[in-house]
Amino acid sequence: MAAIIELDGLTKRYGDLTAVDDLNLAIDEGAVFGFIGPNGAGKTTTMRILTTLLRPTAGEARVAGHSVITEPVAVRRVIGYMPDFFGVYEDMKVWEYLDFFAACYDIPASTRSGMIDDLLALVDLGQKRDAYVETLSRGMKQRLCLARTLAHDPQVLILDEPASGLDPRARIEMRELLRELKTMGKTIFFSSHILSEVAEICTSIGIIDNGRLVASGRMEEMMRQIRAHRLIEVRYLAGGEWDESGIRRRLTTEIGVLSVVTSESAGLPPGSLRFDYNGDDAALAHLLGKLIGDGIPVLAFGEVSGDLEDVFLQVTRETNG
Amino acid sequence: MTELASHPNPTLPEPRPGSRLGAWIQNPVTVKELRSRMRGRRAFVILALYLFFLSAVVTLVYLAFASSGSPTGGGARTAGKGLFAAVIAVQVFLVVFIGPAFTAGAISGERERQTFDLLRTTLLSAESFVLGKLFSALSYVYLLVIVSIPIQSIAFLLGGLSLTELILSQVLILVAAVTYAMFGLWCSATMRTTLAATVATLAGTLFVTFGLPLVLFTATIIISSLSVGMAGLNPLGEAFLLYSGLVLAATNLPATLVVSEIFFLEQNTLLGFNHFIGSFRLLLFSPWPLFLLFHAVAAVALFAATVRRVRQVGDS
Repeated sequence: MAAIIELDGLTKRYGDLTAVDDLNLAIDEGAVFGFIGPNGAGKTTTMRILTTLLRPTAGEARVAGHSVITEPVAVRRVIGYMPDFFGVYEDMKVWEYLDFFAACYDIPASTRSGMIDDLLALVDLGQKRDAYVETLSRGMKQRLCLARTLAHDPQVLILDEPASGLDPRARIEMRELLRELKTMGKTIFFSSHILSEVAEICTSIGIIDNGRLVASGRMEEMMRQIRAHRLIEVRYLAGGEWDESGIRRRLTTEIGVLSVVTSESAGLPPGSLRFDYNGDDAALAHLLGKLIGDGIPVLAFGEVSGDLEDVFLQVTRETNG
Repeated sequence: MTELASHPNPTLPEPRPGSRLGAWIQNPVTVKELRSRMRGRRAFVILALYLFFLSAVVTLVYLAFASSGSPTGGGARTAGKGLFAAVIAVQVFLVVFIGPAFTAGAISGERERQTFDLLRTTLLSAESFVLGKLFSALSYVYLLVIVSIPIQSIAFLLGGLSLTELILSQVLILVAAVTYAMFGLWCSATMRTTLAATVATLAGTLFVTFGLPLVLFTATIIISSLSVGMAGLNPLGEAFLLYSGLVLAATNLPATLVVSEIFFLEQNTLLGFNHFIGSFRLLLFSPWPLFLLFHAVAAVALFAATVRRVRQVGDS
């Protein structure tokens, strides 16, 4: 599939501080790309470069084949941008807000009225058409801003923390809206702190830390790459003949057991531990049989499925040494 | 690396050639600003208060003249002149201080409101943005200037005011309004906050309107006294001082209005007259054409600088 967003050695420095360091990335058309990383990692800087608001110190960024440096107008034509913090105009009605931005995108006045109704219906604000923007709730303003980004029917949406500051209900509505946009074929490049939401709607992710892209790829590939081995959790009856250190020693004698994590270091309740295992299901069943055969009082034995949070923690832990 | 696609957007209209005038008239920024400004009672209350204030000033001026002389003939003409001058003074105050105050927050306010970035990622050009801000500010100032013309025209009933004087004064005021408003916009684009932009704008207009003439007047007196003291003022020196004075007057709205009026009333000329210093002949020109030239050039230069500042891609 062809890349619609391409970052090539993208770097942004502010004096001695390197906000974005040699970023290389290609995002396919139609992808929902989750850009995750801690605060100050360089997410917003990257997005501002992509939206032509910032000039990179080095490297290149292209959107739909257009350079953000040499063809900013062409880039603006194909992107819709929603910043993490944005203001609204006072004394402006909802339809006037959209009408204004549609006019800024050269949409003819004759087609704007119908388009505004469609956009408001899409973001479920049809009943607020004549309300003043300042009277809308935070969630409604976010959806209105999203509708604004769609005024010129862009191919790429760049959304900086679109669910930030929203209550759970508004967050769900925003997530559903992004799903809807995904089915409309939009390429969505968005940042978020809420990893569970990123995992739910993303087709691919990129993890940025200290300005460097530490991992990126399709969601399922990332999961596979990060955790090539299996994580097994064992719960046993505590207080018997076998204590944690004994079980740990017993496990480490087994082929396929890579490392054992105690309950304390894994943040598990007493009577639990986890181990990394690279064997198949048959070997795992055999291991369970051996543990029971040795008299270990096993209460539960199963594989822990990794989530995006694990991926994020592992990647950022590795890069931070 | 994945192959890069070329994606012509099928739905977005291309810029329409030949609709430049229409685009100017329907500038989105102007439409938005006027919608907000003229909505509700606020704009009309301000307009009513302004006209009430102007009427009070005119009434006071008339009463002052009426109580001190004959209400007919020469006295009426003097009252007409006074009334005309009073309205002009209010209009000058409007364009020198109120117009720039409108524009001083126009661009910095967008930054403070966090709407500037939203606009910069649209297809709205920096020129359209600046023109939109200028038109919206000027339209209200022009409205205030134009609605005062009927009150100003009472001077016609009293005599002492010609149509030429009225037209010339209004043209000078309206042109100056553009330059001063552009100065406010430039400050707004350059400064980070509206407060700083407003202070810089008012300081600048105050200096150009009152400070600069004061400095130059003082300098002229010093030069004149030095010249006279040292060797007497020769015709060339006098010519230099006269021309310098006229050029300097052309930089300043009140000075241009006053000097052009003097030329018109005392020499009965709009453009200039011959002045003799002994046998030395000088063509003294009325400052208003130079004023229009200066202000047009300044407005264009400020427009270009503002557009460049708005277009500038941020580094922070």
